[in-house]
Amino acid sequence: MEGLIFMLPPFAACLTLIGLLGYFGIHVLKRGIIFIDIAMAQIATLGITFAYVLKIDPESFWTYPISLVFVLIAAYIFSTLKSKNPRMCIEAIIGISYAVATTAAVILIDKAAGSDEHIKEMLIGSILWVQWADILKSLLVFAAIGFIHYFFRDKFLPLSEDYETAIQKGINVRLWDFIFYLTLGIIVMHAVRIGGILIVFSFLIIPSGISALFSNKWFPRILSGWIIGTIVSIIGLYLSWKFDVPSGPAVVLFLGLFLVIAVIAKSTGVFKTSAVPIKNNMGTNSKGA
Amino acid sequence: MESILFLAAPITACFLLSGILGYFGNHILSRGVIFVDIAVAQVAALGTMIGILLGANEGSLFSSLFSLGFTLIIVSAFAISKFKHKEFSQEVIIGIIYCMALAGAMVMVDMVSGGSNFIQKTITGAVLWVTWKDILVIFLIFLIVFLFHLVFLKRFIKISQGNRDSFHPSELRLLELVFYISFGIVVVQSVKIGGIFMVFMYLIGPAAMTLFITENWKNRFILSWIFGFGGSIIGLVISFIYNFPNGPAIVCTLGLMLIIIPLFSNNKKQSSLVSHKMD
Repeated sequence: MEGLIFMLPPFAACLTLIGLLGYFGIHVLKRGIIFIDIAMAQIATLGITFAYVLKIDPESFWTYPISLVFVLIAAYIFSTLKSKNPRMCIEAIIGISYAVATTAAVILIDKAAGSDEHIKEMLIGSILWVQWADILKSLLVFAAIGFIHYFFRDKFLPLSEDYETAIQKGINVRLWDFIFYLTLGIIVMHAVRIGGILIVFSFLIIPSGISALFSNKWFPRILSGWIIGTIVSIIGLYLSWKFDVPSGPAVVLFLGLFLVIAVIAKSTGVFKTSAVPIKNNMGTNSKGA
Repeated sequence: MESILFLAAPITACFLLSGILGYFGNHILSRGVIFVDIAVAQVAALGTMIGILLGANEGSLFSSLFSLGFTLIIVSAFAISKFKHKEFSQEVIIGIIYCMALAGAMVMVDMVSGGSNFIQKTITGAVLWVTWKDILVIFLIFLIVFLFHLVFLKRFIKISQGNRDSFHPSELRLLELVFYISFGIVVVQSVKIGGIFMVFMYLIGPAAMTLFITENWKNRFILSWIFGFGGSIIGLVISFIYNFPNGPAIVCTLGLMLIIIPLFSNNKKQSSLVSHKMD
């Protein structure tokens, strides 16, 4: 019983993460920007490294705003490039920024010895040692961002559905695209701190991937993402505690198992739902000439 | 003079890597499977760890063959799966393969002695310490892959352009199998020398630069080789002068070039970085 109380903070952290990542995952899939979170996490880390080179204590207040500025610049670049050419494959730009951010951090670290341990820790994270204070802080930030997205849902949702249709509808695509990337970047910064990049990545794409198999409506997909995330977190954390394996990977592997079951269920036709027929192509950024 | 001799082997390695990866990069970019090489590298790392757990010595021939075999099985499964969905794109499948392989490696990392050190190595690479023997091995492997691709070149380009329906389904699968298996072999060999990020940048960076200039496939291949190799030379010189780690210096140089080149391109259809993805 005592052990289960010990698992309470990681469980709360998982629920906090799935709350918003389950929703953002649908955006990410519809836009085809699968690796955005890994890139954003690395860009934020580059900010932390940069602060370290400026001799700012990693635990001090200033690290956060500096890291935020880097995320802001990335959000600006992504949204501007997309507005210049709506057909641009943003995933390629994301990939390139990921590679440059990671290696630039390596160059900076090389110049400021001793910081690599701290950055490694930031990247890997450990949901098992998560603090209530961190969970609470993230919860507040997530609630604020969730509210913004709910309030402006008539901007964000069409934008991810189809960029060019959103332009025709008269949405200020560049502005809302920028806000989308910025909010996603802020979420990733917090989420990685409490869950580690592996959990964030899988919570973002796997639940929304499973629901994409059965529906393309937003609300049922968000709801099913939450249910899947909760069940998997309970089973994964319990088993990791019982068999003493790292909790993050355990949850992720369980999520993968869930996905396999869903794909089998889908292909054997257990669920006959309003599945989407394969349309000509995949959303906004792929209408090749 | 001595320094030039010292850099001769790394420069040759960069020449070979930028050549073959620049070629593959144009396919990868047009197919919209940007992160496929990172997933392949992660699967290979997982394969090596499983091999070590089964009793192979790190660096032994058995260990690398086991890892390669493991990788090729996963890659083949990916290539022949005809799973098609509007949102569930190939890139999503790549993402899932990547995080499953990473999770598997993290579960196993405590069981393998020196496991975390091993992961570190695949990130930074060691192009400066490449030996002439390594170069001969990759030269032969790349040559075989290149000859294979020469035979199927027209068909591979057609698939990358998105004209998948013009093939018989079984022919398409066979072509996909050949393409991804050869790609898997090249990535596993290249990552050993250059590390994940250099390989990634060689693939995507030069291919993206050429799209600002031309859409002709032959010119794309030639230009991406020139850009890739040119960027490597500049990067190596910078890393040599300022004493930076060389892999990261090359990656950042190529990143800078990608910002500068579009400024000077006067292509009307500028920045047609459009992916054709699967249909």
